[in-house]
Amino acid sequence: MLKDISIGRYYDGSSTLHRLDPRVKLILFAVYMTAVFMVSSPAGIVASFFVVSGLVALSRIPLRVIIRSVRPIIFLMIFVFAINVLTMREGKYLVDFWIIRITDIGLERASVMTLRLFLLITSTTLLLSLTTTPLKMADALESLFGPLKKIRIPVHEMAMMMSIALRFIPTLVEETDKIMKAQASRGAEYDTGNVFVRAKGYASVLVPLFVSAFKRAEELAIAMEARCYRGGEGRTKLNPLKMKISDYWWLILLGLIAFVPVFVELFWEIG
Amino acid sequence: MIQTDSSRPERTSIPDPRGSEVIVDVRNVRYVYSLPEGKQVLALRDISFSVDRGEYVAVIGRNGSGKSTLAKLINVLEVPESGTVLVFGKPTDDDDTFWDIRKRCGMVFQNPDNQIVGTSVEEDVAFGPENLGIETDEIRKRVDRALNYVGLSELSKRAPSSLSGGQKQKLAIAGILAMMPEILILDESTAMLDPISRNEFMSLVDRLRVDHGMTVFHITHDMSEAGKTDRIIVLDKGAVVMDDKPERVFMRHSELLELGLDVPIYVRLVMSICSRLGVACDESYLTSQDAAVAAICQILKHRQTESDCQNIHPTDEQKELEPSEEVTAVPSKQGSSGSVLDADAIQAPHENHESDILIEVSHLSHAYEERIGNAISDISFDVRRGEILSVIGHSGSGKTTLISHLNGIVRPQSGSVVVHSTTGNRVYDTKKNADVREIRKTVGLLFQYPEHQLFEETVERDIAFGPRKLGLDSETIPERVRRAMQLVGLDDSILERSPFELSGGQKRRVAFAGVIASDPDVLILDEPAAGLDPVGRRAIFEYIRALKNMGKTIILVSHNMDEAAVYSDRLLVLSEGQLQCIDSPRALFSDMQRIKKIGLDLPEMVRLMLAFKESYSENVNAVIFDLASATDELLRASAVMRCSPVAGPDGGSHA
Repeated sequence: MLKDISIGRYYDGSSTLHRLDPRVKLILFAVYMTAVFMVSSPAGIVASFFVVSGLVALSRIPLRVIIRSVRPIIFLMIFVFAINVLTMREGKYLVDFWIIRITDIGLERASVMTLRLFLLITSTTLLLSLTTTPLKMADALESLFGPLKKIRIPVHEMAMMMSIALRFIPTLVEETDKIMKAQASRGAEYDTGNVFVRAKGYASVLVPLFVSAFKRAEELAIAMEARCYRGGEGRTKLNPLKMKISDYWWLILLGLIAFVPVFVELFWEIG
Repeated sequence: MIQTDSSRPERTSIPDPRGSEVIVDVRNVRYVYSLPEGKQVLALRDISFSVDRGEYVAVIGRNGSGKSTLAKLINVLEVPESGTVLVFGKPTDDDDTFWDIRKRCGMVFQNPDNQIVGTSVEEDVAFGPENLGIETDEIRKRVDRALNYVGLSELSKRAPSSLSGGQKQKLAIAGILAMMPEILILDESTAMLDPISRNEFMSLVDRLRVDHGMTVFHITHDMSEAGKTDRIIVLDKGAVVMDDKPERVFMRHSELLELGLDVPIYVRLVMSICSRLGVACDESYLTSQDAAVAAICQILKHRQTESDCQNIHPTDEQKELEPSEEVTAVPSKQGSSGSVLDADAIQAPHENHESDILIEVSHLSHAYEERIGNAISDISFDVRRGEILSVIGHSGSGKTTLISHLNGIVRPQSGSVVVHSTTGNRVYDTKKNADVREIRKTVGLLFQYPEHQLFEETVERDIAFGPRKLGLDSETIPERVRRAMQLVGLDDSILERSPFELSGGQKRRVAFAGVIASDPDVLILDEPAAGLDPVGRRAIFEYIRALKNMGKTIILVSHNMDEAAVYSDRLLVLSEGQLQCIDSPRALFSDMQRIKKIGLDLPEMVRLMLAFKESYSENVNAVIFDLASATDELLRASAVMRCSPVAGPDGGSHA
């Protein structure tokens, strides 16, 4: 259960999308977010669907992996769908039973909203977590926000913190599992008993977890210092970010494609 | 005089064309650190020593003796309060030079997880060189070379969390190797590794010394590791108490024991034989295990020429058939003051097949993820009342999975685990929710590094957590807590203290007491002594012995074959999730073919005795686990050789 958390779940590959400069992907991520939010008609959403499918094809990631990464938000999608479909009162009634009233407009809007959410998550995981290692993402953030260093925002430190956090998630998840088992064998209860019993059960996991996290942080800081870490200044990179000509072309191409659905929607409405 | 082989293949000294060069020079160093509550602790007091380039130095001492502080002084992670530390001839407290020193020193820490920074293997190796500001192309070369050197090339893109403990420590070495340091400091780097990973790690370090001429500081609790170095520095309460070649340090083994330290098994055996025969022990006997075996053979042969056959007991031949069953009860004169392998720690194994059964495991299988396959498959065995059953096997063989089933922490996917109650004839099944509560009263489980489970505000409350959860009334609980603390040797004065303020060893005891306080009939202990210093180890095994004497049944998971063999009535061998066999230590280790087939490690004592069997006499019984029996066996074998007409040196009476 705990091991299914997919933050920063990278899927190794060598597709165009994998090799794209992470900064380009980060910019494209913003572009696609905007574009997906700009469309609201079925035609636009269908067009968006094709564009995102194109991205999927470009990433050469198997569909089941993508579906797995969307799985955690299925509940949210169902919720969004239900809220939209049930609250819309305009349009022709399709179902009118007790308090459940479903209209055609409601159904359309709910579908658009749900699909939009789906596309948003898919394009985000594609561009960010699935094709980009967390470290590259941190590098990209550091590089894109680099100018903020001038106004004394610790961009490097924040990027380093982010990548360390990502590095330690699996370790802490594993540790949580171990502590839970250890406490359970001492009789701690997490899902039975009254609120106090459960709270105590969780405290028996969280306290040791925090204590150990602090200890780890301390030891890691010493280990980093021992390996001559002294902040971002003068650091080089094993894999430095370097924009290639092709990266610029992809940026322009994929950036333009992102807005194709917006134009499709416009023409659809005019025509 | 006795000739011993003085060559030591494992101690290749690196020739330095410029002659010896002092690489680390510590002079009158004193170091004080202050605790959060304002208390000052003197970590090092007036320490002086110097180390030459290419030297291989072990630093030993109890927990809290200042070993880690010393390591940090060399690496400029700390600077001395007074005195000077010169590394590469440069002072460490100079802001201009300390970066230069630090980048030429690499350090591997104890916990593999807490020193990995990168989110992938190669990114982690690159971390050091990146900090040094090395060109990208050069970093790539160094990373590839370092990973290749430690044998992790194929895993370069993997996430560090997917590596085993041993692989993580190799990764740490690769990360340091990529910085190309001249000094390597190992701060208890092997403490959390299993024996196989430990050996691999140490041979990697040996290669580094030979190939790169690295100077190595190895902080360790493992005396056989320390024995393989050029020099041992012994720290006690922040002071250097010994600083000499390993054999000279080992000569003072009674002092070492008093300091709470230990010596390798071969040293103990040499000492024991020498003292029994009244022979003076020479330091040349202690240079290595081979030297020790050769020396003992010489001593025994020397003794053969003196004739005092009348001393042999007439039942010697019988003893050979029934090896040292009663001998185990006789404590040796020498060295009975400490190691877990001492005779007084041993009881004659209970070979009582009719003893009633407490836990029945039948056809138990478990898979965490179907794709990966079974963690354990089709395991059946019984746990008998009053026995010590050790579960042994390599990392990943399914030991933890198996024991987690025994008190219902993990429920059987197929097969069953049933627990018999102590009083009535009730039988509890771990599959039934209602039964699990009862089972946890009967079967207590302590996972590895149990100090990580402490969470209450006071020691008392933490120990009482288990009993309270069992629903004991508030009048019995304090009594239980007190008794449990007494058993593990904890003082009442810490009752009101926070468990987090205690030392590592004390925390371990508190966790131990927490399980004992619930007064279970069966105690499952997963590597209870892992990571402790020799004194802590000994203490833990004393509690285990005390618990056994109280009639408890104990299931022990252990990496240490010697301890498992000495303490257990039976050994359960797991390999790749399969139960290989379950048998008494003596029967198990007598069957060498089976041992080989399973790929099991031998106890060090057995390995030592096998060396005697090979180089001294076929007559030696190698299936011996403790020091006193080993001594007796060797003396017996030499007596037989001397006096039996067939095997004696001048024998051959029958044509």
